[in-house]
Amino acid sequence: MATNAAPVTSIAARRTVGSYAMPAIAALLVAALVLWLVINFTKGPAYFFTISFIGLTNGAVYALVALGYTLVYGILELINFAHGDVFMLAGLFSASMIDGVFGVTTHSSTGYLVLAIVGSLLVAMVACGLINATIERIAYRPLRSAPRLAPLITAIGMSFVLEDIAIGWKGPGYTAVPDVLPKGNVFSVSGVTYTWEKFIVVLITLPVLLALIWLVQRTRQGKAMRATAQDRDAAAMMGINVNRTISFTFLIAGALAGAGGLVYALYFGQIRYDTGFQLGLIAFTAAVLGGIGNLPGAVLGALSIGFIQAYNEGLNWHAPGSNWTQSIVFSILILILVFRPEGLLGERTPEGG
Amino acid sequence: MHLRVSEGWWAALGAAGMSHERWRALPRTARRAVTTGVWLAILLVLIAFFGVWKTTALALAAVVALLVVPVWTRLPYGKFVVPLAALGLAVAYPYYFGSMPQVPIFGPFPQVSTMVVMMIFTMMALGLNFVVGYAGLLDLGYVAFYAMGAYMAGWFASSQFAHQKLDFGAVGLYEGWSGFHISLWLVLLMAGIATAIVGVLIGLPTLRLRGDYLAIVTLGFGEIMPQIARNGDSLFGTGFNLTNGTNGITPIDGPGFGNWAEQHLHLPANYLNAANFDSLYLWTAIVLVLITVFCSLRLRDSRLGRAWIAIREDETAAAAMGIPLMRTKTWAYATGAFFGGVAGAYYASYKSGAFPDDFFFNISVFILCMVILGGVGNIWGVIFGACFLAYLDREGLANVGAWFSDHLHRQIDVPKYEFGIFGAILVITMLFRPEGLIPSQRRAAEFHEGVHDEPLYDAETAGA
Amino acid sequence: MSKKVSLLAFVGVAAIVAAVVAGYSGVARSATQVTALPSSACGPIVYKGSGKPDFIIASDLPLQGAIRKQTVQISRAMIWALQQKGWKAGHWKIGYQSCDDSTAQAGGWDSAKCATNARLYASNTSVMAVVGTFNSGCAEIEVPILNRSHPGPVAMVSPANTYPGLTKKWAAGEPNKYYPTGRRNYARVVASDDFQGPADAMYTKSLGVTKVYVLNDRQVYGAGVAGTYAAAAKKLGLKVVGTAGWDAKQSSYESLAQHIKSSGAQAVFLGGIACNNGAKLMQDIKSVNPKIHLQMPDGFSDPNANGAVANGAYISVAGQPPQGLKGFGATFVKSFGKSIGATPNPYSAYGAQAMLVALQAVGLHGGDRAAVTRSIFGLRINNGVLGSFTINSSGDTSLTPITIYKQQGKILKPVKTLIPPASLIG
Repeated sequence: MATNAAPVTSIAARRTVGSYAMPAIAALLVAALVLWLVINFTKGPAYFFTISFIGLTNGAVYALVALGYTLVYGILELINFAHGDVFMLAGLFSASMIDGVFGVTTHSSTGYLVLAIVGSLLVAMVACGLINATIERIAYRPLRSAPRLAPLITAIGMSFVLEDIAIGWKGPGYTAVPDVLPKGNVFSVSGVTYTWEKFIVVLITLPVLLALIWLVQRTRQGKAMRATAQDRDAAAMMGINVNRTISFTFLIAGALAGAGGLVYALYFGQIRYDTGFQLGLIAFTAAVLGGIGNLPGAVLGALSIGFIQAYNEGLNWHAPGSNWTQSIVFSILILILVFRPEGLLGERTPEGG
Repeated sequence: MHLRVSEGWWAALGAAGMSHERWRALPRTARRAVTTGVWLAILLVLIAFFGVWKTTALALAAVVALLVVPVWTRLPYGKFVVPLAALGLAVAYPYYFGSMPQVPIFGPFPQVSTMVVMMIFTMMALGLNFVVGYAGLLDLGYVAFYAMGAYMAGWFASSQFAHQKLDFGAVGLYEGWSGFHISLWLVLLMAGIATAIVGVLIGLPTLRLRGDYLAIVTLGFGEIMPQIARNGDSLFGTGFNLTNGTNGITPIDGPGFGNWAEQHLHLPANYLNAANFDSLYLWTAIVLVLITVFCSLRLRDSRLGRAWIAIREDETAAAAMGIPLMRTKTWAYATGAFFGGVAGAYYASYKSGAFPDDFFFNISVFILCMVILGGVGNIWGVIFGACFLAYLDREGLANVGAWFSDHLHRQIDVPKYEFGIFGAILVITMLFRPEGLIPSQRRAAEFHEGVHDEPLYDAETAGA
Repeated sequence: MSKKVSLLAFVGVAAIVAAVVAGYSGVARSATQVTALPSSACGPIVYKGSGKPDFIIASDLPLQGAIRKQTVQISRAMIWALQQKGWKAGHWKIGYQSCDDSTAQAGGWDSAKCATNARLYASNTSVMAVVGTFNSGCAEIEVPILNRSHPGPVAMVSPANTYPGLTKKWAAGEPNKYYPTGRRNYARVVASDDFQGPADAMYTKSLGVTKVYVLNDRQVYGAGVAGTYAAAAKKLGLKVVGTAGWDAKQSSYESLAQHIKSSGAQAVFLGGIACNNGAKLMQDIKSVNPKIHLQMPDGFSDPNANGAVANGAYISVAGQPPQGLKGFGATFVKSFGKSIGATPNPYSAYGAQAMLVALQAVGLHGGDRAAVTRSIFGLRINNGVLGSFTINSSGDTSLTPITIYKQQGKILKPVKTLIPPASLIG
């Protein structure tokens, strides 16, 4: 009918303007960001690559921690505040293992160094996995029918308890890790240097990530995790032991934190009781940026944050500078949560699909 | 386990002649008298042997017994007796606290300056109670409101903007003063309103989010504010000094009633010049707390308060009943922010400075711990939780540490573990008594029966 | 019946309260002549002279946290100074109390504690002077409170505050905002940061450097001294190729170090304190720029906190090196050094000197707080621990040498002592 044609087009016109405003602004911001990066690249390509490698390595460390957050959130919709502190304990633990148990120094042979790293890695992963699963058992599981904020508050409390355990164990100052990673460059091409330290971080992180992918995609437990994350009731009806699966998820997340702690200790050289809180916030931002519950998203988000931090401080042309790094990270967190809560790659939670 | 302890206890008592049925048959006043009497006797014995004895301990015990034992609520206007007595004791505190006995482990009663801080934190906790207790929104960035209030006092009651000169009722101006100096009473109100506006601005985009996302976003704001404060001496590189950066804004004026009032009404002209400034600050703080309690009570029983309770228990049903979700939540946020701002401004005046290092995430959790421990949603519980935890923070933990080193000969630096202790309090409270020590009945029911927001584990899948 | 009960009950409560109040006022006042400061803030009165003390001089220092070792030694140096004077100022007997402006939670000075302490000193008429604070931020809180106190402003003599605005025109409204009554009550025996920055800049220039990068830890002290360094560097003709703040909580400063490298800076000035993750910052800077010169102010004056990475770095500390002290100062180094079994920390000498200044002022006017405070300005100290000098009318000392040290292992070796010319100051 003739009267219907006009209203339809005018309604469509009204919707078009409003709903395109937000994506348009986002596109503009992204374009500005890309332009800024390109200009900085043209001003010094080798330097750009050097900074990028710093960002890549930092991002790899954040990725290990972010994956832990995202695994737990995907299956439980719980932000495990204590996760960053489990990571911190792993770092302190690794520091004592490398220094005390294995007694590695800068003069140790490469073979012994590899043995010490692998040994510490295994011990840290197992220990932190168990710690994380225990925390789940005593602090989160009893709150099954409580309002959702109750385990969140408990997680905050656990976080502080773990921090004080660290203070009691190692004191409030920095615990230094012996500087045992080999110095020198893997390669040095026209001004771009890539040090062994950075390469070792990737060497440790990559197999852990691959093992995680294998675990989640190829094993029965992994399938149970994915099923429980998708739809808890259906998974229970299919005969999956939901409690055991959740415990297993916490175990894996703790193991990832353990690996992250070791890598952090080796690469950054010092840990303190509040390192976990700071890094946890960054890692959580990364997980949210990529899409909470989404494993590749967590890695993508972590790498992005790593790059953003490095570019912010390192680049020369109109970079805000190190004064603003923390504010930028938090602003990203808030903007993503407010405007695109599903993150870059989309959520994978019991609700979000 | 709880049941077995009490069963065993009554079995033993029954053998001694007082069984549980006989006990319940006694008149209520007698039972209360006996229970209170026994606890007070134990406390007096402990003080006599392990604390520092003063005969005023007996007077204190008598006062407590008089307040607790008789069932005052049966009398007309009886429900005001205990609160009024508590108020009287608080107001008279500067006069008698010197003669209080020393309690074992915790040591002497708090100084008047600690009492002022306790009152200020009580106000903040009551403010957070609107958000967490009434509306059930988890706010982890309350420290941002505290900071906003403090900086409002810093901007309008100090010489921060030294290129301007404005005097509007301020007291205690010295020669050669500059900057905005508005009467601190007005500044408190302005701080509250400005913080409420900031609260609304923060709340508008974030209150649509789910509970845990809201928590994280508020945490993010709570971290950004101190960053802005720290970098604020050259805002965005323009050179405009908003917050004086890491130095903070100091000194900040104090409240007062002016010279006319001093001569004719014998009110203090300027608190900072008075000899008993701590007592003056205490009494003003008590008045502020009273105002906050009054607002809490009235709002709780109002339509808005009932809307908050409805949202807390079941958002979908509340929306279906026509409650505007966003507006109601924003009101909760704004009210909480208002009281946080006033408390922040007052504290800044008391400390005579607003420093960015004072505002960090742990304080938000500290205030949250007060609300949770005391009793979520219950005004008296929150007041108790706030006073107790603020006391621990300021003096209590140091005293406990001193007691450990004196009596157990263990050098445990207890204040160092302060936040671990508060974290443990949070965990234990959530696990065993989530409604807090002095609960509101409604909240207790919610925690134990469950509410219709997505629970963490569905009951059906338990152990499936 | 119920009305009678309630009436009885109210009468009972009133009686109890009256008894309590009566009990309070009936408590006999202590027979000692001084009222000690409460133990919640201060240690016990230290007095080893004859009889009982007439007045108290309190020290206000952060006694908890990483700084503890330094400040406890400063407190002991003050006791040493008091002992040297026979626990007397003039003919009055002086007791000492060491008060803490820090909390364990903060790990350093705490603003609320500073305010509370200042109020304690102001309200306790036995306190004649305060020696402290250690941190300038704490002094900014305490000085106005002491300034307003009755019956007269309480004098404060600081051994360690270096923030210029406390005594001179610096930021807007300073220094008058710290002295609301219009009368000064604050003095210090150490040169302020507006001397330290230029001295460092002079030394950097003398190394032959042309490009310098200035960092600060974004706190009161660090930002202040970095600012004065940058201003003086520009006046001396050095090119400041970049300024940045470092965040103590960051894990790695590698990108910042790369930025420093790309700017071509030959020296970097670290305006701040070592406990703000200074060691990691230096490590990252050195790993990317192995040949860069590190120049630091006295916030990095503890080689143990700096670590081995700072070997060869240049650190400035206000005043003469302990080894360079003469006369009574040399006696201090020997005698006090023997009592603690080590070479005294540079600040201990300042602590002792600050106590001597306070004693000299109290010795002139005894129990009159206002007169004691007035007499500090223009006070001439002869053969003190730091030498002979005057406190000028704004409370600053006339001694302004800054010594540049080079870190070698665990010790600082003095390299050069500079007195910055007036053209570089301010």
